[in-house]
Amino acid sequence: MEEQNKEQQHNIEHKKVEPKKNIKQILLEFYDKKYKQLLIIPFLILFFSLAQIGYQVYKTGDFIKKDVSLKGGVTITIPYDKDVDTKQLEKLISSKFQENEVIVRTLSSAGAVAGIIVQADIDGNDNAKVKSLLHSIETSLKINLSEVNYGIETIGSSLGASFFRASLRALILAFILMGLVVFIYFRTFVPSLAVVIAAFSDMAFALAVVNILGVRVGTAGIAAFLMVIGYSVDTDILLTVRVLKRKEGTVMDRIISSIKTGMTETITAMVAVIVAMTVTHSDVIRQIMLILLIGLIADIFNTWIQNVGLLRMYVERKAKKGINI
Amino acid sequence: MNYKIKKLITNWRIIILVLFIISSLVAIHPTFNKGVAIRNVVTNSSASIAGIPQPQPNIQPVSRERIIAINNVPINSVEDYYKYVSTISSNRPMQIKTTTRLYKLITREKFGTIQLNETEEKNATQTVQRNATINGTIQIINETITKKVIVPKTKQISLGTEDLGLKIFEAPTTNLRKGLDLQGGTRVLLQPEVRLSEYDIGILLDNMKERLNVYGLSDLVIQEANDLPPPLGSGNQYIVVEIAGATEDEVKDLLSKQGKFEARIGNKTVFKGGQDIVYVARSANEAGIEPGGCGISGSQSFCRFRFAITLNQDAAQRQADATKDLDVVYDPVSKRNDYLSQKIELYLDDKKVDELSIAADLKGQAVTQISISGSGAGANQQEAIYNSLENMKRLQTILITGSLPVKLNIVKTDAISPVLGEGFVNNSILMSLLAIFAVAIVIGIRYRKFIIAIPILITMLSEVVILLGAAALIKWNIDLAAIAGILVAIGTGVDDQIVITDETLHGETSTIYNWKEKVKRAFSIIMLAYFTVVAAMFPLIFAGAGLLKGFAITTIIGVTIGVFITRPAYSAFVEIMLK
Repeated sequence: MEEQNKEQQHNIEHKKVEPKKNIKQILLEFYDKKYKQLLIIPFLILFFSLAQIGYQVYKTGDFIKKDVSLKGGVTITIPYDKDVDTKQLEKLISSKFQENEVIVRTLSSAGAVAGIIVQADIDGNDNAKVKSLLHSIETSLKINLSEVNYGIETIGSSLGASFFRASLRALILAFILMGLVVFIYFRTFVPSLAVVIAAFSDMAFALAVVNILGVRVGTAGIAAFLMVIGYSVDTDILLTVRVLKRKEGTVMDRIISSIKTGMTETITAMVAVIVAMTVTHSDVIRQIMLILLIGLIADIFNTWIQNVGLLRMYVERKAKKGINI
Repeated sequence: MNYKIKKLITNWRIIILVLFIISSLVAIHPTFNKGVAIRNVVTNSSASIAGIPQPQPNIQPVSRERIIAINNVPINSVEDYYKYVSTISSNRPMQIKTTTRLYKLITREKFGTIQLNETEEKNATQTVQRNATINGTIQIINETITKKVIVPKTKQISLGTEDLGLKIFEAPTTNLRKGLDLQGGTRVLLQPEVRLSEYDIGILLDNMKERLNVYGLSDLVIQEANDLPPPLGSGNQYIVVEIAGATEDEVKDLLSKQGKFEARIGNKTVFKGGQDIVYVARSANEAGIEPGGCGISGSQSFCRFRFAITLNQDAAQRQADATKDLDVVYDPVSKRNDYLSQKIELYLDDKKVDELSIAADLKGQAVTQISISGSGAGANQQEAIYNSLENMKRLQTILITGSLPVKLNIVKTDAISPVLGEGFVNNSILMSLLAIFAVAIVIGIRYRKFIIAIPILITMLSEVVILLGAAALIKWNIDLAAIAGILVAIGTGVDDQIVITDETLHGETSTIYNWKEKVKRAFSIIMLAYFTVVAAMFPLIFAGAGLLKGFAITTIIGVTIGVFITRPAYSAFVEIMLK
């Protein structure tokens, strides 16, 4: 019974696909034959990503827009359930803190305001300054802070800088270790390097887009970049294992089968990330999810164009030497 | 079909998964606990006098003592508690019914002293030194004189009913420990001014725990957080203190106080921590249970411990002076004249924490080497040994307090609002569930088979359960970072299940391979991906003062559970159902 159903389903699918086949075939042929030319796309994107990061360094001295958790400052979270004009509030508070940067955001859940977050890069150990910040929030919002259960997080600027350095080192170390694992498994230089380049390109793209969007990255963001490595490597490993270690079909067949599996992975991850992003209250989790989403988008072209291209060039060179893969 | 079900329930991979899920549920221990749980009991408060014990620091959340009713009025929430407590007046008897027993206490009146504009005359005693001629030689002698002094008049006024001294919170319904960002509280990051050795850090941490416990704070985490040494990391050394349900001011206040230790005989200070105690023996051969020091008394076992401390000459002299006029008293236990009439009392930040009897042979002797002994009791000998060693450790910690002249700088303080915390929990659960269902729907659309989508859904949910069970078992706090880690773990888990499904079912691989070979091939991809994720997460454990440690460790534990428990079960399921 089940077997029959399966067969029927198969036939229906077959019929549906038929009329489209021409366009699909043309695209596939193009993808198959012009893989070297296609390589320009991901490398151009990588180039622009690096250029953006370079520009950011030139303009701000840092390749990332840091939030108070990496720069030092104060974050105040206030439970508040009325609508509030954050821009207005930001202006009001900023007028009293001319030399500091003040950011006001709302915490929302399912469309309703749940709280307000005020971030300012003032010295958290300077009690007078913190008090005057709290006071200006009170007067601007017309509330009494001692009556609500507000939260305050402070971080010193030297500590922020040291967190940033430590996180950066962790990121670089993660890259090296990840590369090492891949090298040990494949024991071939070019394919392993292609995996590492793909992960690097994903991260560079995510970083550049985050910069363009003007997102301030905190410690959680650093963790998110690490997660981009993890997800990115998943599809690259799938591709490389299928192409190098499998024998059935042509190289192109194996690539196509990898795309089917890999795209399922990426799309499920994207859907989960988008759901989490829309549902969560937490800025921390939203930021992680945003960075992951950008990384996942980058992973599509970096795996299926860049990594595929490099891998095929490697396979072809081997074939010329008389080694068939 | 029956045959397949039989095969499923006898498959060892699936049995292992089910066992893990069951033990995780046992570890999480979901209950329908009502009432409010006791977080802390303030020392010397009316609650502590009534005998309500301070909760053990390592107690499982659902086993915490809970208040069920006060004066027969049921207490079901924190609001109920505060509402009732605010109505009670001073000097009234009260009955607090908890899950363990019924406590009877008397509420106390709170007094405050105010200064009046009038003055009054008071007698004050003062000790002065005077030269006197005794037996023909001039000596300095101490003389006590009484002086009349004029002081402002003060008056004691009532400030209403004194707080019962119970710190309470909504009774936990599971053994999951919520991290600070989910339950509210204060986190302080401290950095020692100079780099401390592992040994010194250990003493410092014990010390801080002891001191904070004196203030009735037992629900706390104090741990070391280090960066990797250069060039791999910044090499910074931090101490993280997390106290649930305490305000920032309370914690800052406590930590800014220098740990002050004093030992007094009568009202004379004989030695202070830091300068007077030169050495406290802690090694196994200098400190421990007395040889043959265990015995049975009635239904209880008890053991004696002993360790030596070294005082400096001044402290030894003070000790001699303070004891030379004391009487030797009869000790009913040893039936000998063994001890002096006054005890030596130990004070930590001016609160009495312990007292010790002084051996008769120390009377008036300026000895620098003192042996300190004490005891512990228990239901059996093993318990007695454990308890007396615990007591010994505590005593040693107290004696060392202050002897580490290291200044701790507060580098970061976070006060986390519990109101947002409560919202976070429900929101995070909702988010995780929706994400999981969304993934299941995508899988369902892709494969158009319930037989694949449903097991993937079950696998994801069981991964969450096992991960939470592991967290409850190792007493890991679930915070925001951990939730992010759980999501990553499940996300990579789904990736792996897609690989298994495609490698085994979707005819991309030709039929020349048998099923075992197909599963093996799927796992070669999965294992490689697993090792790269672990490699990428590993450095994060040691970065940024451990603030992302929770995220890294949860991810690593999560993917490990996935690879070794849930993935094999899923592949076994697919094999049996779809082969």
